[in-house]
Amino acid sequence: MRRQSSCSAFSIPACNKNDFEDTQIADHSAEFAFPLFTTSINMKDLMFKVLHDTLSGDTLLVNPDNTMTLYYTGDVVEKPASDIFEDFTGGLFPLTDTISSSPIDTIDGVTIFRADLTKGRIGMTIFNVTGETLTGKLRIPQMTKDGVEFEYPFVANPLSTFTSPPIDVTGYILQSSSNTLQFVYEAYKPNGDRVKVELSPGIPGIYVAFENLEFSYLEGFWGYQEYALVRDTIEIDINQTDLVGDVKIKNPQVTMRISNSWGFPTRGKIKYLSFIGQNGEEIPLVSTAFTDSTVDFNYPSFAAGEVGQTKYTDIFLDENNSNIADIFNAQPTRLIYEVDGISNALNDPNIIGFLTDSSIISLAMRVELLLEGSAKNFGAEQTLDLNFGDFGDIDTADIESVEFKLVTENGTPIATTLQMYFLDDNDNRIDSLFTGLPRFIMEAAPVNSEGIATGITRTEQFVPMSSERFDRVRASKKAFLKTAFTTAQNGSVPVKLLANNQTTVKHGKMGLTEGLKTRYFEPKRQLPFPTTSNIHQPIKVINPLRHYDRFPYFTF
Amino acid sequence: MLSKYKLSLFCILLASGLNAQQELMLHTLPDLWHAGSVNPAFFPEGKRFAIGLPGYSLDAAHSGDITYNDILRKDGDRTIIDLGNVIGKLEPENEVYFDQRIETFSLGLRSRDDKWALQLGHAIVLSGWVNYPKDLAEVLWNGNAPYVGETLEIGPQTDIFDWQEWNAGISRRLGNFTLGARVKFLTGVSALITEPGRNTMRVYTDPDIYQLTLTTDYAFHSSSIISAIDTAGLGFDFVTSSFGKKASFDNSGVAFDLGIQAKLSERLSVNAAILNLGGVITWEKNANLFSSKNQYTYEGGTFPGTDIINGSDDIDFEDKLDTLNDIFQFQKTSETFQSTLPLRVLAGATYKFSEKWHFGLNAYFQDTNNRTNTAVGVNVRWLPARWLSLGAMYSANSRSSSNLGFHVAVTPGPVQLYLLSDNLLNAFSLKNSPAINLRAGAALAF
Repeated sequence: MRRQSSCSAFSIPACNKNDFEDTQIADHSAEFAFPLFTTSINMKDLMFKVLHDTLSGDTLLVNPDNTMTLYYTGDVVEKPASDIFEDFTGGLFPLTDTISSSPIDTIDGVTIFRADLTKGRIGMTIFNVTGETLTGKLRIPQMTKDGVEFEYPFVANPLSTFTSPPIDVTGYILQSSSNTLQFVYEAYKPNGDRVKVELSPGIPGIYVAFENLEFSYLEGFWGYQEYALVRDTIEIDINQTDLVGDVKIKNPQVTMRISNSWGFPTRGKIKYLSFIGQNGEEIPLVSTAFTDSTVDFNYPSFAAGEVGQTKYTDIFLDENNSNIADIFNAQPTRLIYEVDGISNALNDPNIIGFLTDSSIISLAMRVELLLEGSAKNFGAEQTLDLNFGDFGDIDTADIESVEFKLVTENGTPIATTLQMYFLDDNDNRIDSLFTGLPRFIMEAAPVNSEGIATGITRTEQFVPMSSERFDRVRASKKAFLKTAFTTAQNGSVPVKLLANNQTTVKHGKMGLTEGLKTRYFEPKRQLPFPTTSNIHQPIKVINPLRHYDRFPYFTF
Repeated sequence: MLSKYKLSLFCILLASGLNAQQELMLHTLPDLWHAGSVNPAFFPEGKRFAIGLPGYSLDAAHSGDITYNDILRKDGDRTIIDLGNVIGKLEPENEVYFDQRIETFSLGLRSRDDKWALQLGHAIVLSGWVNYPKDLAEVLWNGNAPYVGETLEIGPQTDIFDWQEWNAGISRRLGNFTLGARVKFLTGVSALITEPGRNTMRVYTDPDIYQLTLTTDYAFHSSSIISAIDTAGLGFDFVTSSFGKKASFDNSGVAFDLGIQAKLSERLSVNAAILNLGGVITWEKNANLFSSKNQYTYEGGTFPGTDIINGSDDIDFEDKLDTLNDIFQFQKTSETFQSTLPLRVLAGATYKFSEKWHFGLNAYFQDTNNRTNTAVGVNVRWLPARWLSLGAMYSANSRSSSNLGFHVAVTPGPVQLYLLSDNLLNAFSLKNSPAINLRAGAALAF
């Protein structure tokens, strides 16, 4: 590229060539203004992001009127049927006669009519104290497989102990209308005489043992029985960012859902259910949804052929039938609860129930928050890492001052104040973004009587900086951020957050140069001020909705 | 980048300093050989053979009172461009004229019967005109920030070209009348000419967050000056060819001069000439049209809100700023074009009050692409000796009504030396004058 001043062509004599061979622009101040960036943040996107980062079981539903409802299903507490099966894994049965009966050993109050085995073993031991070989077989008429009853032949040598190998009982079905198993053996001497095997008179000489039994299905009668169902304490981590201020959510709704595939009637008995407030105060959940603090769970009916099905029981809590709204707005820190279960609470003798190996009772809490509420000085403080990127290396020798212009066009009913303190490596404050107190960087949009934003409020803030101050600020590595959020009309009325609410943030810059010996710098790559591009933690930490989303941590 | 851009632009603006083209004084001196350049009917009286030695003329001006020294100053060996003192003096629209003519060599021969005369000659000629808005100087010097919310018109207009002139003329005396005609073969050197009606360049800085809106409908022709516009950076590099190039026969044209001189009596004579008649150069060598028609608003980086929400680690401005390169998008098209030589008309009358005192009236008209200028003057000439001529002139033109011109001509024997100006006050203070008019030269006439 060849560059040459065009004056050289016209240089005689008013400007001779030498005049322009080494020209330089005189030192002077020039002021350049240019935009830095514009971005629009959509409320729905913001909410999705917040939810994605903090919740796992969340669903954000945009309603037809653009209001948003947050659904959160908390962790589920479960009571599997296997807890009951653990009581019936085996047992030792001495055969006192050639035909012996023994009840099926299971939980109290339960009469088993049928049990399908998926695993387990049976074995028998014969103490032959006679001098003759005993030959015979063992039968269990109530234990069949493919319609064939269990039968095991044996040969017991004289004056010895016969022990059978473990016999797999997988696939056998125990069926008894009286909760009784019969063990029948036939033992013969070599001469064909049938004998009763005893160690000594009155002491059985044959023992049968079950071990490691597992069932895929139990069927029988469950009598009235009370047992512990669930008991736990949940920390509600709503205040981890040292939030201050007041937030009110309008009419939070909580649905407690019991999912039940146990095939017999169960009544839940709430023994204790209270929240603990920020100051340690107990806030019992009071609701008309519970009758005598009990709830009968829906269940799959054996009579109706609903084996394998799950039935649901929803307990709906809102401001009309409970004090749940007061609890939410008190920002509780802990939930303590204890629930027992009562089987066949009505003591119906005709109800036949069942359990399968996948039967389960689970309890979940779903929080439904229509994003409508108010906040006043609801704030957060956080220390952030800063990275000024290429702006950290700019030669500011030719820059006299810069002035950043921050414009927000806010279509949301939330106002935001901000102050940022720049910290050195020892966390000492070396400067602040604004002089003095935090400033409103975003005024709330006007709202109508329904709390819906009806317009856009523009807010402008200027941040002038001398080059010295700019040098100081850009050297900082951390920032202490104070933000506070207040909904429209100074937080006095509930507002709705609509999916199409949008805030546009725009950033411009004006720079006064001091001499133009070198060219004025141009912005590249990185934002000069702490924005999400160079704050290592995303901006969501200062979003009020982040705090709302902690409410669903009411989990069991 | 910015400073280089400024430098380049202001060099154009200051090219030779400074308006109001006129060429009156030389036309009052028909006995000088070089006067033939403004009237082909002129031939020094009583001379049969003439050799034209180099002669130089400059007629330049800047509108208003802007001078060279207002803009340029020396700082040691460096030349400092300082617009701080100038911007306040600028008009909303400012013009620079510069006409330069270098007579390199010429010959003249008159027949013995004094009826016919022939002439041959060569000259290097530059004609330039630049119009630039004050906004341009302001935004370049002060930056755009002081003009937030204002639309700045920054598109300059130019009509600059230089050429070489090979001429041959003939004159014929018919009684008291002498008629002259000259044909000039023109070979163009370089040209930079903006397209009429397409000089829109607007810059608007939005008060919102200083979004820059640039609107262009701008085009210019260039031959052998700008070969490309490189917008690879964030500014514009005018890739220029070196100046002072040789004329090319690819850029050619023809012009005609006509003149008349009449002795109405022993004391009264009149003359008139029309120069550059039909003068058009067709530019073909490295002839391009650079055209930009665009409107672009630079709003800074525009990032999806989701990027912000997600805390993107790399919000890259470079890509965004690269779009600046797309703003002007000069399209280069190889295209021949033409430039029209300034049409000049001169007329004068001289009354010999005595052998030593002559009085005259002169008029001058120039039309350059419909930009016209008219000047009239009265002069007095004193010849205290046969070899010395001193003269003064008062003239008025479109720019100024108070121009005092002079001439000094020394003609010992065959030698002719002269220095003249239509503006005495500016002739010796070029760098302090907003207008310059000067001519000097030498010749031998036998």
